[in-house]
Amino acid sequence: MKLIDLWRASTTRLLLVYGGLFALWCVALVGVIQWDTTRYLSNVVDVKLDNISRYFQTIDRSRLPEALAATQALDLRDVLSHGVFDAQHNLLSGNLARIPDELPLDGKVHLLTQGVQRVEGHHAVRARGIAVHLTSGELLVFARDTSVVDAVGAIIQRAMFWGLPLIVIPGLIGALLLSRHPLRRVRAIETAVQPIMRGDLRQRLPVSHRRDELDLLAGIVNTMLAEIERLMGEVKGVCDNIAHDLRTPLTRLRTQLHRLQHETGQDDPRAALIERTIADADALLDRFRALLRISELEDMHRRAGFDQVDLLATLRHVREIYAPLAEDKQIAFSLDTPGQLPAIHGDPHLVFEAISNLVDNAIKFTPPQGSVRVRTSLDAGGGPRIDVIDNGPGIRPCDRSAVVQRFYRGASELQEAGQGLGLAIVAAIVRLHSFRLEIGECSGGGAKVSMLCWASVE
Amino acid sequence: MPRVLTIEDDVVTAREIVAELTRRGLVVDWAEDGSSGLERARDGGYDAITLDRMLPGLDGLSLVTRLRECGVQTPVLMISALSDVDERVRGLRAGGDDYLTKPFSPDEMAARVEVLLRRHGTAARETQLRVADLELDLIGRIARRAGAELELLPTEFRLLEFLVRQSGQVVTRTMIFEAVWGYHFDPGTNVIEVHIGRLRRKIDLPGMPALIRTVRGSGYLLEAD
Repeated sequence: MKLIDLWRASTTRLLLVYGGLFALWCVALVGVIQWDTTRYLSNVVDVKLDNISRYFQTIDRSRLPEALAATQALDLRDVLSHGVFDAQHNLLSGNLARIPDELPLDGKVHLLTQGVQRVEGHHAVRARGIAVHLTSGELLVFARDTSVVDAVGAIIQRAMFWGLPLIVIPGLIGALLLSRHPLRRVRAIETAVQPIMRGDLRQRLPVSHRRDELDLLAGIVNTMLAEIERLMGEVKGVCDNIAHDLRTPLTRLRTQLHRLQHETGQDDPRAALIERTIADADALLDRFRALLRISELEDMHRRAGFDQVDLLATLRHVREIYAPLAEDKQIAFSLDTPGQLPAIHGDPHLVFEAISNLVDNAIKFTPPQGSVRVRTSLDAGGGPRIDVIDNGPGIRPCDRSAVVQRFYRGASELQEAGQGLGLAIVAAIVRLHSFRLEIGECSGGGAKVSMLCWASVE
Repeated sequence: MPRVLTIEDDVVTAREIVAELTRRGLVVDWAEDGSSGLERARDGGYDAITLDRMLPGLDGLSLVTRLRECGVQTPVLMISALSDVDERVRGLRAGGDDYLTKPFSPDEMAARVEVLLRRHGTAARETQLRVADLELDLIGRIARRAGAELELLPTEFRLLEFLVRQSGQVVTRTMIFEAVWGYHFDPGTNVIEVHIGRLRRKIDLPGMPALIRTVRGSGYLLEAD
């Protein structure tokens, strides 16, 4: 099964769309959780900063540096920075080198994205800060790292980074695996349809016990096929009955005429009349047989005689039988074949009959001194192709589809004897084998009739 | 005198088959349906049987199968209203020896019965055939007329061999086509006529009487001595 087929399968697409949406929702959910957690933790920091700044505002100015130092000593993780600044923003005490530029001096907590400048150096971690005015007119500034908040956010992001592929990859594999089964069933249906397309209406599509939508569809198609088969059977039944009803009287007619001929003396004036009647009856019977033969060939079940056919041997037989006929009409007959042709699957007798009909027609319609060429080659698909080319009058484009029908005979053919069913029989044989028949013209203006076969798979 | 059994349900057709075969010097019995036909075919000691494919009661295919199961090897000509696309294959697989479709010409039917009778009579393999002043060496594939060797192509030799084997009786062009080339359809008049014409030119040397005669409306005949 090709990957591209799996990719196109509706189950795969459904699961992929579902997987995509699922991933999107995961991202959104984790995003919300991260946002909310960060907000909550920031809030906690803010409340702490607010409390601490309020508390120190109330402490007596003279005790403030001592109290701040004590707080500093308790800050084991070193997340809190503080500083007391005079009205000109010069540091009086604390570990903050200067008031951060981003911090409005409004007594509210603000985010400091650039971090803070410590006495011992730049502290680049994001922080939240607050600046409050002391009653003495000085400024007290606190800043607290938000690294904990950011670390929690990072943990959540990491969880998403690893978690998402763990969700998506097994999902993708699952989608492909799940699609394989329906695809395999579609392949089975495709295989089952092949003989039906070739005309074997007895075949049905496979139906499983699952009763899913594929089975539902197969069931509908099967019902339709059964109905088509019934109708075809009825039509064929009517034709067969007519044919059978005609056979008996025709057999009687012919045999009784025969006896009449024998019971009439050669010198009887009626003998010539009887002979003409028999000739007419024979012409009638020939045509009747040919028509029945075509309708039997069109009934696709008739493949009892199918076997491997060696085309080269068949073509050599055709040459052996028809070359003398061409020679008698002073027509040059040639057979161009490569050294080898793949075998085909078919009825050897019918394949021979089809080719010999084409050759017979070509010889019949080519004027004396003309030429008939039988050429074989390999088609693009690897199947053998047989071209029968003559330099007779050719077949007019408007007649090309008609000549393969049962009763047609081109205007120029009228003077020639023959049943006029040759190409119709060829067409029926070609259909029975699922070959293709092409009627065209060659560069010289004569007819070029080609039979395109399939190489046998065995 | 060879005895033939005709199993055929249509009275008129049966009467004509019987009349034609009788006219050719055969003794013919008629059975009207499958079961009585099987009985007589089994016990009657006939030399050949013409058998309709579609019979009331027991049909032709089952009949010939049963007959072969009983060990009766009488040659059977199956006459079928079903044309021969694959009915022929079925008929021959079931044990029939030859196959003819309805409507048929009585000449063709009688010619085929005669071939069956002859084939049955000469089961032994011959190495030499001889008719009039014509000699065929089947092993060396050499033909001589009045002692002079004829230059024949393999196909022409096969054609001549068939005519010599059936000498004294008419063979139709479909019979020739089947026997010489092995294909079962009517190739039209011209093809066989051309091949016979070539053979004639090779075997009828100047001053010699013509060996192969055209029988109008039916086929060809190589006269027996």
